[in-house]
Amino acid sequence: MRALFLLLFLFPFLDTQAQEIEADLSYKYMFASNWDKAIQTYNFSRPFLTEKQPLFMHGMNGSVSYIFKSENKFKQGINASYSHFSSYAENVNFVNQYNLHFFNVGYVLRHESTGSLKGLCTDFILSASSSALFRNVNEEPFIYDEVRSIAFGIGADLSIKTSYSFNLKNNIRLSPFIQIGYTPYLYSPNTEAVINQTTGLTTPDFTGVFTSQIGVKVRVR
Amino acid sequence: MDRRKFIQQTALLSIGGLLLPSALLSSCRPDTLFEDTSFQGKVIIIGAGAAGLYAGYILKSKGIDFQILEAAPNYGGRTGKITGFANFPIDTGAQWMHGKNSIVSDIVEQSDTQITLDDSSEKYWFNNQIVSSLPRDINEIFEEEENVPDVSFADFAVQNGYGDEYKNIVEAIAGDSGADASNISAYWKIMEEENWSAGDDDFKFEETFFDFIEKQIAIHVQDQIQLNTAIKQIDYSGSTITVTDNNSNVYTADKVIITVPITILKSGDIEFVPALPTEKTTAFSKIGMDAGMKVFLKFNTKFFDENIFGGNICASYSDDSIGKVQDDNILLAFIMGQQAEYLTSLGSDSAITNALLQELDTMYNGQATASFVASHVQNWTTNPFVRGAYSFSTVGMGDARKVASETVAKKLYFAGEAMNINGHHQTVHGAIETGYREVINLITDVRK
Repeated sequence: MRALFLLLFLFPFLDTQAQEIEADLSYKYMFASNWDKAIQTYNFSRPFLTEKQPLFMHGMNGSVSYIFKSENKFKQGINASYSHFSSYAENVNFVNQYNLHFFNVGYVLRHESTGSLKGLCTDFILSASSSALFRNVNEEPFIYDEVRSIAFGIGADLSIKTSYSFNLKNNIRLSPFIQIGYTPYLYSPNTEAVINQTTGLTTPDFTGVFTSQIGVKVRVR
Repeated sequence: MDRRKFIQQTALLSIGGLLLPSALLSSCRPDTLFEDTSFQGKVIIIGAGAAGLYAGYILKSKGIDFQILEAAPNYGGRTGKITGFANFPIDTGAQWMHGKNSIVSDIVEQSDTQITLDDSSEKYWFNNQIVSSLPRDINEIFEEEENVPDVSFADFAVQNGYGDEYKNIVEAIAGDSGADASNISAYWKIMEEENWSAGDDDFKFEETFFDFIEKQIAIHVQDQIQLNTAIKQIDYSGSTITVTDNNSNVYTADKVIITVPITILKSGDIEFVPALPTEKTTAFSKIGMDAGMKVFLKFNTKFFDENIFGGNICASYSDDSIGKVQDDNILLAFIMGQQAEYLTSLGSDSAITNALLQELDTMYNGQATASFVASHVQNWTTNPFVRGAYSFSTVGMGDARKVASETVAKKLYFAGEAMNINGHHQTVHGAIETGYREVINLITDVRK
């Protein structure tokens, strides 16, 4: 989070050196099979909870990119992104919520089309991905042994992002985009302990994560 | 195709290509396992302890026909209670909720069950006197995670230079795991508890653990429990399984979930037809379960400390009123292993009580006998359907628990605290986890 804020703070200053600076906001869909299984097991094993815990599926994502100057049609840059997913279920005496945060930092390889397809832009993003999963019970952080229940994760993510730009003003462009991403192996050994309160009972200590996004980015030249 | 049209079509295709698979994927991602089980068969659960009751509760929630057969005249397994002995209900079996990060804790929270953190202080009977701390912290050697040999607690303590004066302290530490110090493995205990994720704090129920099991779990399946039904044979040779009790009554089922204590499986009291695989019975034999008893001593004054570890007759005494609303002077003698065998050999409850009073008199200058009111002996070793305390990790254990808990012929499923392979054996929440785990395995097999 600190790195993201730092990047946002430096945004206007970086502009003097960069080919492009951009920031985006998007809806993010996620599919992580082993995390699904952990929540499904949680719901299956707790028939006393009538309101079931939703899967991690719908979230929001924000990111910033810094693209270096280049005369080549392939450009390079760096990207930082943050996403949040939540699973909330309200039962009598028992309001349970999982908050899942992702923070990615990565390398961007950009291809900008020319000619009749001018404005079409494709980014290949290779990121280091980290996650943090928290549990709240009855609107309070779930604490045991005086420590908050938390699961960290780490992995590598590959994303492809395609956008099309419309000029708004001089040097400012608005670009709707879609993005798909895949993290083949996100190592997060404590996730089952946070979600289902077991370890090694039903799910392995990693998961693959598939994501798709749709959103809008603002690009400043 | 002009540029504008190309861009429009590309955008539509891209958005469609993104949203359609997402929408399809969402629709085939149910929020629970096995939304539709489509299993029309019958399941028999043998044993109405925490694992059996919870397995029944899950089967009921999925609409699957089941029946629970219990050998004892009551359900609850190794939980139990007595009332009238003190001004608070007494837990005669499982007593502590171990850790807050467990399914039991979720049920406690949801049901607004009252629990209290047990933060009682410890004292030791060491070199014939009560001390607040030991010259050397012996607990730390049993918490090491590296270079621990596969030897017993007793041998490991000696190897680390703890002499005979620590013998009964080691018994108290082993007794906490339901074992005699000469039987439990220092190495395998650490290995088996590697996945422990419940937390270290212990909690006590304002009522009893039995009340909790009864009100929150058994209540859902009470009408499916048949008591006083000890099973002598399970014949799984045909397409339908036949289960025969000691009165030669025959029950039939498509699947059987066996939740009896490991001592019962080891004893051969239940005959399996065909016989269980040798590797499975060998695995049973490697899982330890020693003698265990709880003796409640009532006094008219509170002369004793909250916990006293290191007695020669009983390695672990604790104030049973901690965590209760009322505060009668009840001292719990928590006795495991050879100490429990010795006391059992005395032959009567009064002899057991006298032996304990004698030891307490030595510790507290005769105050025990002087203020003694009454005692209640709960000897789990002589209970024919339990025969011990709870399972522990033996020397040379290996993956015995994993082998022991494996399904046989997609017909027999094994649950109970001894069958917990994710570090939560010896606990009620561990037993519950195996109850729902085996229902998952059962439904998975049905759907294959």
